[in-house]
Amino acid sequence: MKLYNPGKVPWDESQLIYHALAALGREALSLVSPATPYVCIGFHQDAEQEVDLDYCRANHIPVFRRDLGGGAVYLDGEQLFFQLILRKDNPLIPKKKGTFYKKFLQPIINVYRQIGIAAEYKPVNDVIVETRKISGTGAGEIGDCIVFVGNLIVDFNYKMMARVLKVPDEKLRDKVHKTLRENLSTIRRELGEKEAKQWDESSLNGLMAKEFGKLLGPMEPCEKDQELQAKIDDLRARMVNEEWLHQKGKRVAGRDVKIRAGVKVVHKMHKAPGGLIRADYEVREKRFSDVCLSGDFFCFPEEAIKWLESGLEGRPTEEAPDLLKEFYSERDIETPGIGIDDWMMVLKV
Amino acid sequence: MKIEQYNMPDELHYEENHFWVKEEGDLLVMGMDDFAQIMAGEIVYVQLPDEGKKLKLGKKFAKMESGKWLGKVFAPVNGELAEVNEELETNPGLINDDCYGKGWMYKIKPADKSEIENLIHGQDAVEKWVLADIEKYAQE
Repeated sequence: MKLYNPGKVPWDESQLIYHALAALGREALSLVSPATPYVCIGFHQDAEQEVDLDYCRANHIPVFRRDLGGGAVYLDGEQLFFQLILRKDNPLIPKKKGTFYKKFLQPIINVYRQIGIAAEYKPVNDVIVETRKISGTGAGEIGDCIVFVGNLIVDFNYKMMARVLKVPDEKLRDKVHKTLRENLSTIRRELGEKEAKQWDESSLNGLMAKEFGKLLGPMEPCEKDQELQAKIDDLRARMVNEEWLHQKGKRVAGRDVKIRAGVKVVHKMHKAPGGLIRADYEVREKRFSDVCLSGDFFCFPEEAIKWLESGLEGRPTEEAPDLLKEFYSERDIETPGIGIDDWMMVLKV
Repeated sequence: MKIEQYNMPDELHYEENHFWVKEEGDLLVMGMDDFAQIMAGEIVYVQLPDEGKKLKLGKKFAKMESGKWLGKVFAPVNGELAEVNEELETNPGLINDDCYGKGWMYKIKPADKSEIENLIHGQDAVEKWVLADIEKYAQE
């Protein structure tokens, strides 16, 4: 297995290198980290909808659309990327996606454990410490290859991550920031500043190479050759431009920010005949949490909305229709022009 | 026909990557089969290319995503894209809810309709194929 371990690279090359290796059909492990920060969105996302592009432009933070799955992330040099490129016919590749993730996240879990962090695999594609995510991942098929990427998170700029996302207001941004801090951890947070300093980029990359080597066989260190550089340049022309970035992505009603598997911050609005309904809540392991309902509709008695909020708290999201039926049938509540279907427009997840 | 827990209707034709095809007038309708949607889990995105896109048998013409995995959709026949299921743009989970009905994905104007005969079809052939895939997945 070829090993590319150039350490810090220009921001765009930290993405283009694995696209290029896959396009060339070269099996490899690439260990890179960006010299400067940028935002990276998943293939299916709509840049305009996901990212505060004005803020990024004003602050010289580039935005890149990768040809892989997963969501928008703020990436910088405190994150060490692993990028695994395997040909589709490689017998090491499990057919089941869950088995694939479990198998190829094990080297990362082993690295974390070796440095004293009790990381575990959480299906389908997360590495966690207790309940906190400590590695981001994305995967997909490029050319004749399967590409799996992720990171070791040495430190994370929570504030910038929350800042670069496009959200309707600062209240939601604060919520995203808070939920990120609660649900995403780093080597520095887990080990403490002093202990974490023992593990520099080179030693962590060395551990990753060693652990992936146990799965993939001996690693053969390589430098970028002319063919690879030419492919990177070719892809730069195709992928580092406005047209590629602004291609049509998935349009979604409202705003969901996935924090880790099982946790997301949701903001939804719905114009019902009786007025506008706004719902802000978290979904934690398929249950409502921190529910806030508001809008410009009429509700009698006024405190009924508080009853609905507390009624939803902690309940499975799939029970929302039943809870709403109970809400209206068990109490004398009036919300003219707003019915169960309208509430479901903002509570269906 | 039910093969273990998977619903694989007899009347459909199947492409080896687990997409079904059926005739509808001059067009072919295409979607993901039950085996694939169960294996994929929650589908979060289906690319809906522009109508008129040329399709080449066995070549990728769209992408779809589940579990952070961006996969490919291959053309089951030669032809061109006649229609896409616009509802999947906002609700790709329809494929999980009703893969043979509301979760249909594309309508294709085939260059030669008889190419559908090259797909997997008929109770015996479908059963043999699905059981073989079930075994491959079970070995992991």
